[in-house]
Amino acid sequence: MHGNDRHQRQETGQVEALKAGESSAWKDILARHGPALLAYAARMLGDRGTAEEIVQDSLVNIYHTIGRFDGRCSIKSWLYRAVHNSAIDEIRRRRRYVDVGTDVLDNYFNEAGRWEHDCPGWDGPVPKRLDEKRLLTSVREQMDHLPHAHREVLLLKEVEGLDTEEICAALAISPGNLRIRIHRARAALRAAVVGG
Amino acid sequence: MVYLKCSNVVSKISEIIDGQASLMTRMRFHGHLMMCNNCRRYFEQYKIVKELAGKVTADDLPEDFDHVMEFVMNKIENKDA
Ligand SMILES: [Zn+2]
Repeated sequence: MHGNDRHQRQETGQVEALKAGESSAWKDILARHGPALLAYAARMLGDRGTAEEIVQDSLVNIYHTIGRFDGRCSIKSWLYRAVHNSAIDEIRRRRRYVDVGTDVLDNYFNEAGRWEHDCPGWDGPVPKRLDEKRLLTSVREQMDHLPHAHREVLLLKEVEGLDTEEICAALAISPGNLRIRIHRARAALRAAVVGG
Repeated sequence: MVYLKCSNVVSKISEIIDGQASLMTRMRFHGHLMMCNNCRRYFEQYKIVKELAGKVTADDLPEDFDHVMEFVMNKIENKDA
């Protein structure tokens, strides 16, 4: 708990500096989280130029509204939440939002809970016909085409490495909901990569 | 030991991989995999894809945050609205 306390004090000091408009504090926080926020927005939007605009506008907006930050989540979550909301607004504005279709998991089993057909795709611990590099390329491509609700949780958890608390605060969802969404998103990614 | 159906096994995979499942759930889960080819295959595929998703780093996109940083810091330092 000591580590957490220290972390908490550091964050409180940092928030005060940000609220006071100290440019070194802003520079520091932008340097620390900015590149990852930009990468997140670019993957959600599928367009780097728009991602830059979204991120810079969100960050300027955060600067103007930091007085409202109440410390109920971390500054990092606050940043992700702002960028996430702007990205989703922009995606919807452009009518590019991809909805989650039927859950792939619903199609596999019969009423007794057994496999309706054999599990499709490659067998064994190491895919026989696909080397890891090719498989990674496929995972990356498929991730960039997943419905946004799946893509956002996978990006935040697997790619950006946020913890449960941070993701829940960024997306305004509960831990129970996140657990379900992570599972569905991973299952959808597996289905897209394996092809069934 | 209570028998787990395949659909139950698949629904537990994420918790198992993230280390959130109880010892009892883990035992029942792995016990089922030993007897069920389909679930074993699904589990392996799921696990491999999940691990590879973690290797899709931000570096895949040659992001250059410098522009954004400059723009935002300009706004902040000039305190313009
Ligand atoms: Zn099974």
